[in-house]
Amino acid sequence: MASDEELIAAVAAGADEALAVLYGRWERPLHAFLTRYTGGRDVDDLVQETWLRIVRAAGRFDPARRFSTWLFQIALNLARDWRRRPPAEPVDPADTHLMAAPDASGRVDAGLDAARLLAALPEAQRAVVILRHFHDLGEDDVAAILAIPRGTVKSRLHHAMARLVTLATDADPARRREASDPARRREASDPARRRDR
Amino acid sequence: MTPPVCDDVRMRRLLGHPAAGDDAHVATCDACAVATAALGHLWAAFAADRPPIPPPALAPRVLAAARPLLAARRRHAARRALAAAVAVALLPLPLIVFVDVWVLQMIYGTLTRFFPATLSFYLVVNYAAVLALLGALTYGAIPLLAERQARGRYEALHG
Repeated sequence: MASDEELIAAVAAGADEALAVLYGRWERPLHAFLTRYTGGRDVDDLVQETWLRIVRAAGRFDPARRFSTWLFQIALNLARDWRRRPPAEPVDPADTHLMAAPDASGRVDAGLDAARLLAALPEAQRAVVILRHFHDLGEDDVAAILAIPRGTVKSRLHHAMARLVTLATDADPARRREASDPARRREASDPARRRDR
Repeated sequence: MTPPVCDDVRMRRLLGHPAAGDDAHVATCDACAVATAALGHLWAAFAADRPPIPPPALAPRVLAAARPLLAARRRHAARRALAAAVAVALLPLPLIVFVDVWVLQMIYGTLTRFFPATLSFYLVVNYAAVLALLGALTYGAIPLLAERQARGRYEALHG
């Protein structure tokens, strides 16, 4: 099976089939990344524009780099440009509910809504969390994609985590009580005790 | 400010890769116990997050939009192969011309020993014309051969 780097070299020579294979491999991860990063607006257009840029720039791809890093870098740059455009409907951050919305039956899921939590993060921290957590990329890869030092990746991740913990605790009154009560807290953090209950 | 060890413990929990000593640390650190409970909910929320599947129409749309760009890339690659072939073929041309001129001078010198100068000149010019025609045909065939070779290589690689 051809590697991504071999396929992009074939794309640089104009091979339709190589692009189809590469697209098939990366369609879902790229779509998921852009959905999480943008919150789901204009994702299909961004996916298309990312691939068109890939084809246009295929001749300049450095084979010493990983294709995935390059792909996410291009997608991220496009998504950032896209974010500079005004949204269709202005969103008031105060209206952002961190709990999951009711489903079709009207039932409200007791869990937190990941999309809303991510939306509550500053853009720079959100990109780091998505790439590190959802795409399981290493700190070096994330640093290469965002063009920042590795230490900055770590600090952004830590700030993001602190903010997420605060948001998760504040989002639910039961969790707030849990956080303020050491006995409940230990129980919540110990799955064995939860099972015994 | 969170101590580095607490940061690392929480990060590993968020990423779902806890280390061996993390539980012992959480048992003794109140701040981490609070964070761990929240991280557990966060981790569950992240694990449950399923982004929508790309619509089936998206792949044909993207590939169709890329087709003209790929055709342009093919043309560009063919032009580059041709330029490289012509450049490589032109490299020995000065030497070929030099050798031909030298050979023609030698032939003319030899012929003038046996024939009148006008006849010798006529024979040498005829021979030079044949050489020039062969050279032109050879260099004229380069673009055709380069294009055929590039097409053959493309078909061998991509079917």
